[in-house]
Formats: sequence, structure tokens, C-alpha cells
Amino acid sequence: MRDGYDQFVADRLDRLLRYATALTCDKHLAQDIVQDVLVRARSRWGRIGVLDAPYLYVRRMVTNEYLSWRRRRARRDVSTTHATLDELSPAVPDPAVRHAERDAMRARIAVLPHKQRAALVLRYYEDATTTEIGQVLGCTEGTVRSHLSRALHTLRVNETSPSEVLR
Amino acid sequence: MTEQEALIREAIAAEAAEAVDSRAVRAALSARQSRRRPLALLSATVLTAAAVATAVVLAPSSPTRTEKLEAAAPIEPRTVLLAGLDDTGRTDSVVLARVGLDGSVDAVSLPRDSWVDIPGRGAGKLNSAYVAGEVGEPQDLVRTVEAVTGAHVDHYATVDLAAVAAVSTVVGGVEVCLTAAASDDLSGANLPAGRSTVSGDQALAFLRQRHGLPNGDLDRVVRQQVFLRSLTAKLLDPAVLRDPDRVAAVLDALGTGVRTDPAWNLLAFVSTLTPNAGITTATVPHGPATDVGNVVALPLDPAAVRAFVAGFLSDAPHAPDQPGPPSDGCVN
Repeated sequence: MRDGYDQFVADRLDRLLRYATALTCDKHLAQDIVQDVLVRARSRWGRIGVLDAPYLYVRRMVTNEYLSWRRRRARRDVSTTHATLDELSPAVPDPAVRHAERDAMRARIAVLPHKQRAALVLRYYEDATTTEIGQVLGCTEGTVRSHLSRALHTLRVNETSPSEVLR
Repeated sequence: MTEQEALIREAIAAEAAEAVDSRAVRAALSARQSRRRPLALLSATVLTAAAVATAVVLAPSSPTRTEKLEAAAPIEPRTVLLAGLDDTGRTDSVVLARVGLDGSVDAVSLPRDSWVDIPGRGAGKLNSAYVAGEVGEPQDLVRTVEAVTGAHVDHYATVDLAAVAAVSTVVGGVEVCLTAAASDDLSGANLPAGRSTVSGDQALAFLRQRHGLPNGDLDRVVRQQVFLRSLTAKLLDPAVLRDPDRVAAVLDALGTGVRTDPAWNLLAFVSTLTPNAGITTATVPHGPATDVGNVVALPLDPAAVRAFVAGFLSDAPHAPDQPGPPSDGCVN
């Protein structure tokens, strides 16, 4: 049983950390969440380890943990994210325009409502289907589609001004 | 895939690439593993800690039974501040508790509408000192309570009412009794008069409702007391406590709903509680609800509050409980 858990951590820890970092836009919060979740998963590994897809179950635990953290950390999240992004994306010369656009997009994603951001990361980082996203977020497929379309709409609307400046 | 989607993928991948080195996380995980106590004991202890913390936060007015725990640490008197948070992060209940040399607990409630001086900010209602995620930090509430009571707070913890309601679902609901049917849109309460078993949303509504009750927030405090006594009894039932699946489910439901200051080892704290030692509760003396410039609040006499708290939280014997809820357990 312990071997199964250790093997899971060896195989999946990197991916979980990257997923949680994309989700939270805060690598330290991501680390806290993944650690807490893995400690809890270990105590229940007898049941989680026999599931068809333990990774999906643990990923859902990470997502729920993030969504429950959001209220307390929201303000701090946004401010540190912006501070970091300001350092990361100074004015850039022409060959780096794509990087600048990417970092501008990161900044816009970082301030999306948290369920929308979770849906977006599941779709575009984890390549999850609408059904799978609904299972993770505990909502209907219709709600998932609405989260995604609102997120894409926001990102498109906001895209206009910074991109035009950069081009 | 559109250009925009491609850019989103790149942006998310770049964010993900910021992740910390997994070796550091693995080291932290194995460090936690090596200090681990046997799972059953650990789970039971955490569960009891949660039960006691929630019970104390919401100030039950009768002695609470706790499971006997192994290896009780040396007892040191400790004064702790416990705050119950609603879904917007507001502190709906504030309790100052002291664990005495004999392991018994004295818990004094400060009504959330108490009109107090918030250090650095001036006069305000107690529940405006700290709003989770919005205003200040828990330390601001600690400093406010220290200033008004004259007590020194060693540690603090906050508990989400939503987590408490979630736990009630795991244990199959909690029986409550109402003197009148409750129907309130603000809290979503929709409960019949007399006895009923509540869990999930209705449990939360039962804990949250104060509009439409004869005594408002003061009735809500009584509701929280009776709810927590029932819930604590269910949690401490061996049928729950010795079932690893139920324990895991309770811990899952609590999630991050119980938080302590970083230096407080809640497990060690709980191990200092003596089974059957009992919890004595009281409320600080306060005046009637008064309009203090656009807000209705409860005025406090600082000297009277300090004298009361000093006497109540001392090791000397003191007066028993103030009147609790009615003996039939039915509340407004």
C-alpha cells in the first residue's frame, strides 16, 4: 500500500505541482495545497490507490482545496501576482513581443474569477473534457460551458488594448 | 485551435513552469511522515481537536465529554481566542477560553456586536476587527480582545461555520428542536416547529439565521450552542470515532475550515484537556443594544469587562454558568 503511494508521488508530484501552480498563480500556495492534499491522500491510500484513475481523484482534491482557499487568499493572490508579473514582463524589444503577449495573458488569467480560471486550466492545461471539468468542479456541463465562454469572452475583451499597444 | 486559445495555452504553461522544485516538496512530505503517529490515534486526536475547538468556539453551556487521549502533555495554563466565521469571513462568534491547571476550560463569549476600541483603527463593532480575506488579520481581533478584556492571548484559531455544517452531513445530520417554524430567505432557513434532523444547507441556515428571531443574534448564539452539543456528541460516538472512513470523511469536510496560528500545536493542546473536566461558559457584561451613531451596538464598560474576565479566567472557583438554553432543548 505504501509502495503504491510512494510510486504515485514519484510519478505525479511534478505534474500536480505544475497544475496547482497554473491554478493558483502562486507557487507557494500551490506547494502548500499539494502537500496538504498528499498528506490526506496518504491516510486514505487504501481506497484511492484502487481507483481506476487515482490522479484524477487527487487532482480533484487539489482543485477543491484551491477553491476553498480562494476567499481568504484572493486579495493577497492578486497583489503578489501583479507584483511578480511587473518584474517578469518589463517593456520588451520586438522579437519578444510574443513573450510579452503571453505574459499579458497570464496577468489577465490571474484575475479571472476562480471557478472560471479552474475551468480554463483544466481545459487548456489538463485537456479535460467538459464532462470531466464538471465532475471536478461539482457542476453541470452547462455551467462549465458558461464558465469557459465567460472566461474566453473576458480574455478577448481585455486583450484589445494591451495587444494593440504592443503591436 | 484559435490564435487566442494558443496564447492561453502558452500563458498557462508558462504559469505552470513557475512551480517549485518537487524535490523540496518530497522532502517536506517525508519529514511529515517520519513524525507521524499511528494513523488511528492521529485521526482520533485531530477529530477530537476539531470537535473540541468547534464546541468551545460556540460555547456549549454544559460540560462536554472528550475521549481519553494517550500521553497527556504536562499541563500549562493557556488562554486561547476562538472565532467562528460565517460564509463572508465575518466573525460571528468570539470566545476567549482558558485551559486551567486541572485541564478544565473556562470560556467567555464576547457578543459580535460589542462596541469596542480596535487598536489602530478606533471604535467599532467587534466583528469588524477582522473579516477573513477582507479586513485585517486574525491578530487584529486578538489585539482588540486583549485590549478590551485585559487578558493575554497565547494562541488563536478560526472555524468556518460552513465546515461545521458539512461535518453534520457526514455524521448523518443533527437533531434540533424549534419553538416555531422557521422560514427566512436571507439564511435559506426552512424548518418545521418541533424536532427535526438537519444537515448540509439546512444545518448552515439553522446556524446562520438571526433575522426573524425574537432576540436576533442572541437567539442565534443559543442555536449554535445546542447544535454544537448535539454534533459533538455524535462525533465522539465510538461508532464514528473508530471508523476510519467516517473519520476521513469528517476531516475532508473540515478541510481548511479550522485554522490556528502557526505556533499553536492543537493536538498537544487537546491532549491537555481532561476528560469530563467540563467547560464553563459565560458572556461578558454588556449594556442593552444602543444606537451609537448610525449603528446599533452593545456598549461595554471596560473596567467591568476587565474585572469580570480576570475573575472568570482565574484558577479560583467562580460562579457557575449563566442560564443556558431551556432544558427541553427547543430554541427560537
